[in-house]
Amino acid sequence: MKVLLVAEKPELLSELAGFLKDLESKAGPVETAAFTAAPSLDEARKFSAYVAAKTYVAVAERVFPDQLSKAALDIVDRENPDLVIGVATKTGNEVVARVAGAKGIPMMTEIVDVEARDGALLFHRAVLGGRAISVLKPALPAAATIPARKYEVPQPGEPGELVEVQLPSSALSLVKVEEKEKGGVNIEEAEVVIGVGRGFRKKEDLAMAEELANMLGGAVGCSRPIAADYHWLPEDAWIGISGKKIRPKLYMAIGISGAPQHMSAVLDAKVIVAVNKDKNAPVFQYADYGVVADLYQFLPVFIQKLKEKLGG
Amino acid sequence: MNVAVFVKASLDPNMLRVDSSGRILVEDIPLAISEYDRNAVEEAVRLKEKHGGKVVALSALTWGPIQKRVREAEQVLREALAMGADEAYLLVDEALIPGNPYTTAGALAALAQKVGEFDLYLTGEGSMDTLSFQMAARLGEALGVPAVSYARALEVSEGKARVTRDLEEHLETVEVNLPAVVSVTGEINKPRLPTLLQIRRAFAKPLDKLSLADVSYTPPSAAVEVEELRLLAVSRKNIIVEGTSLEEIASKLVDLLVKEGIVK
Repeated sequence: MKVLLVAEKPELLSELAGFLKDLESKAGPVETAAFTAAPSLDEARKFSAYVAAKTYVAVAERVFPDQLSKAALDIVDRENPDLVIGVATKTGNEVVARVAGAKGIPMMTEIVDVEARDGALLFHRAVLGGRAISVLKPALPAAATIPARKYEVPQPGEPGELVEVQLPSSALSLVKVEEKEKGGVNIEEAEVVIGVGRGFRKKEDLAMAEELANMLGGAVGCSRPIAADYHWLPEDAWIGISGKKIRPKLYMAIGISGAPQHMSAVLDAKVIVAVNKDKNAPVFQYADYGVVADLYQFLPVFIQKLKEKLGG
Repeated sequence: MNVAVFVKASLDPNMLRVDSSGRILVEDIPLAISEYDRNAVEEAVRLKEKHGGKVVALSALTWGPIQKRVREAEQVLREALAMGADEAYLLVDEALIPGNPYTTAGALAALAQKVGEFDLYLTGEGSMDTLSFQMAARLGEALGVPAVSYARALEVSEGKARVTRDLEEHLETVEVNLPAVVSVTGEINKPRLPTLLQIRRAFAKPLDKLSLADVSYTPPSAAVEVEELRLLAVSRKNIIVEGTSLEEIASKLVDLLVKEGIVK
């Protein structure tokens, strides 16, 4: 079997190498080629060592998905892979979907697992708000994307042969780029994330969540309305399918009802605690531990008890 | 300006039905308009209000059984009509069930080409049931027009669209010549709630059902087989921490977090 890895930046090749290792442990050895856009050939060389395979490189600082997908299509035609695999970033999903669309092949977005069963490859996806697993058997060739930051990065080997390719022009023209406002703490890396939702009545009240996060060495994240509608927190604190995905040891959802768009982004948390005054809130279905209480009454008491424990 | 808007009759993830073995009872889960497709309809109607032209809502039934589901899919299109779409078309064909982005995109592109000429094709960035984020890219390929994804702002003038794309770390504003496909995020607008009168009037608007033969589309013979659809095995503990007072509940929760190794 032959796999073509597609990355919009070279760092992603190391994650894709982690997936490859997992695939080989299940389906036996695979032949590999890779394609990445990179700011320089040196950067590409560095990361091509993780996949230790022939790496096509488009040297560019900024690329649009249609440029990458067109370049990738040429490589697909040259290499004839059975699988085209990318990383499920916004750009990665789009590039791979374009390749799949142009080639007329199936694609499975953000697969959570791959399984070899009776000589066929099965791909697992989380669907229905992350509460269900769909096991898919595509006709090959097929394409897929893997979740970002899921696979352990293996030790690098020798850099592969580099083949420089030119990027075609894009149908899009750039007008401007604005950086998103940043909150300082990275919720994607925090071991504890306190999630705040519409149960909080005003911005000042988020201080309770901040205090809790400080005590537990974590960060505060939020559901959609808190960032998008009320702007109480910057957008990089927004947890959800349009925001960030997190995988902390503890996710504590406070005053969050538990819409699938939010919860599907926290499913990889080791422990989920939910505090909500509505005992029927969907968030409890996703929680290990639920507290049915008004957060305004519960949090001060919980913070006090936690202080006693941490102090003692 | 004529806008085609693609809407999905999605399984409602808040209404899961499961049997005792954990198998998802797809047939018992109600269909509803996919959340971000509602934003796409809203954006299409706003463009019509500003620039004139018409809005055509397009959908394909991708969940069976057909007999039972057609009415639900029609209901989803009626909702788009009530919001301000002018006409609607629904593809109903056994070959599209269960759907996957590959066959659905090909069929929807064929439907769009069959029913009109459009300056803009809008859809949600992903559907709320399967969240594959593939439609805009695949529709662009199938229709042979540029696709621009993740729009949180959209303006149209003089044959061009200016789109602000919502990416992980930044907002990127681009221009593209029309016709083009644009996928929208939930942040682009607040979808209107149709009035009772609008809902009633929607029943007078045209809604046609077509088969794949009607749009001359032959789906690929081998695409994707769904082997299983089951509840996520790694289920949560689902323990409600109870007590006679908030103090007791808080203490218990602290102890649980100690036991989990989170509070040290």
